[in-house]
Amino acid sequence: MTALERDAGVQGRLGAWVSERVSVAVSEFTAAAALVVLFVALSLASPNFLTADNLFNIGSQTAVIAIIAVAQTMVIITKGIDLSVGSTAALAGVMAAIVVRDLGVSVWTAALVAIAVGAACGLVNGLLVSVVRLPPFIATLGTMSAGRGLVFIVTGAVGVYSLPESFQLLGNGQIGGVPFAIVVTALVALAVGYLLSQSRFGQHVYAMGSNLEAARRAGIAVRRKLTAVYVLAGALVGLGGVIAASRVNSGQPNYGIGLELDAIAAAVIGGASLFGGQGRIAGTLIGAFLIALVRNGSVLLGISIHYQQVIVGLIIWAAVAFDQFRRRRLEARG
Amino acid sequence: MSPRFRSRWTIALLAAAATFALSACVEVRDGGGGEETGPVDGPLEIAVAPKAVGHEFWNTVKAGAECAAGLAEDVTVTWDGVAAETDIEGQVNLIQNFVTSGVDGIVYAATDSAALAPATQSALDAGVPVAMIDSGTDPQPSEVPLYATDNRAGAVEAANLLADALGEGDHEVALIEFQPGSQTNTERAEGFTEGLAAHANLELVAQQPSHSDVNEARRVTEDILTANPELDGIFAANEPSVLGAIQAIESAGKTGEVTVIGWDAAPDEVAALEAGQIHALVVQNPFNMGFLGVQSMIEHLREGTPMASADTGVTFVTAENMASEEVRAVLEPSCDNPPVDQ
Repeated sequence: MTALERDAGVQGRLGAWVSERVSVAVSEFTAAAALVVLFVALSLASPNFLTADNLFNIGSQTAVIAIIAVAQTMVIITKGIDLSVGSTAALAGVMAAIVVRDLGVSVWTAALVAIAVGAACGLVNGLLVSVVRLPPFIATLGTMSAGRGLVFIVTGAVGVYSLPESFQLLGNGQIGGVPFAIVVTALVALAVGYLLSQSRFGQHVYAMGSNLEAARRAGIAVRRKLTAVYVLAGALVGLGGVIAASRVNSGQPNYGIGLELDAIAAAVIGGASLFGGQGRIAGTLIGAFLIALVRNGSVLLGISIHYQQVIVGLIIWAAVAFDQFRRRRLEARG
Repeated sequence: MSPRFRSRWTIALLAAAATFALSACVEVRDGGGGEETGPVDGPLEIAVAPKAVGHEFWNTVKAGAECAAGLAEDVTVTWDGVAAETDIEGQVNLIQNFVTSGVDGIVYAATDSAALAPATQSALDAGVPVAMIDSGTDPQPSEVPLYATDNRAGAVEAANLLADALGEGDHEVALIEFQPGSQTNTERAEGFTEGLAAHANLELVAQQPSHSDVNEARRVTEDILTANPELDGIFAANEPSVLGAIQAIESAGKTGEVTVIGWDAAPDEVAALEAGQIHALVVQNPFNMGFLGVQSMIEHLREGTPMASADTGVTFVTAENMASEEVRAVLEPSCDNPPVDQ
């Protein structure tokens, strides 16, 4: 294929690409509007909501799920799904706790270990998807199960306790009065957001998700790039896992069961499409904060946990239904 | 065939495969008549299942079970459990698999009192005796004993401990429960509310579950502290709830301001008690649960002695009494110095 043909292929997809971007922006806007409405409502309903302490709390509480949702978004854009994020986060968290406890390494070294563990899980997912050609659902379902098993094997099914105070730095420390976890989340979101929207790699990620075969024909090294997406996502999940462990100063073998659902919900509320090719980091962050606000607000207002779950379910329905509606209208307009 | 259509087929196939796998699991073993067999002289294999693996509490149950097996001859304990307390169906399957694999007796803690009742019954029908530990089933067959903590009484006492610690005057308190709907959770939550009723100066201003997840316990406690800046006391009703709650209190800079009554005695809970982050712990005797469960199962299998339910007891541990011999035996149970009446 000549460079000219390749350009023609890209040109042909440009129109579709632009209208997709518009539709993502629209659902992002809707989610953002919902976030603002909820924010104002909670400020009025609870005198304790709009305080620096509570806002920092919400930020720290959302940090882990936001980072993992960012990872999930990358995978969803490639028309994949990562069910293994909970197990990967738990494995990374307990491994970090174990190296701190047994080898006495610093929290930074532990974080690197966690990121490496996460990346390794991602590499397994990536190879299974791109080389073995398993559907992402199946590949990550296997990793989810095997990963959880590994967590229990390495911990002997006991929490990893008796860690030094210094291990709490990642989850509980502050930089200039701002919780460290929030700073890390912001940096991760900015970096991945830039990567997806500004880099050539990002373009290829969207292209693979829209049409893998077309991307392959356009000369994109899909195997390598798809694997890279899973490795990067795994590394981020590992980072999320060590922050979660640090927040409770222990490695919890049961951590993260059901986390994949929160991460998928955040991405989908933010406009990512499970059919691939669509999704933005800004939207995912909005989705993650929307879920977090519902949970925070429910506790502040003394609403039972059962209603919180119903509300999150309703938001997912509403977000995706509205998204579909807008998309059909855009398609009808051509 | 469009890619979207193909992925639907994948899901349909997956569902079919899952259904098949499940139906394979519920295949019933031919129990050889289903009647109680006579005393067994040879080696015994006793399956012991916790609600979930991964918590200190259940590892102590395991130590107690293995201790009882070690004191008898030719008894092996097979320890297996689901990963999460919420995996009720997984536990149903596990009990069925124990029966299928031909164990001599099953000692387990039900993740759900109603859902596990048929599993217990089908084990009995297959001629495998069952003893329950920690959490029983509803209905509980008369030949199945329960070795458990009186959760309600322990939680009533937790309310009393909190009232004593807070003293005169009006106080706001909160409850961090763990798994709404589970028997144990209901008993502790109701016991605590019942206990509070006796202290008119204590008001329960918040009640949220942790789902036995330390991170979630921390999150709900942070939010409760935000919503109730005047909060004076917290009763956290299990290990993960306690660990998350004290993290939240510490990060809010309220250690010492908020009095915590906890439940169970994981190493970090004991350390927090020593550090003054926790006022008192209601400590069950999981070692005794595992020990009594397996010991009476062995006697039943070997000699035909009927098994009888027993309260395994709670100990109230504070910084003052934690050095005493009796409390030490409960906090650091071992087979050399077992916290059981032999």
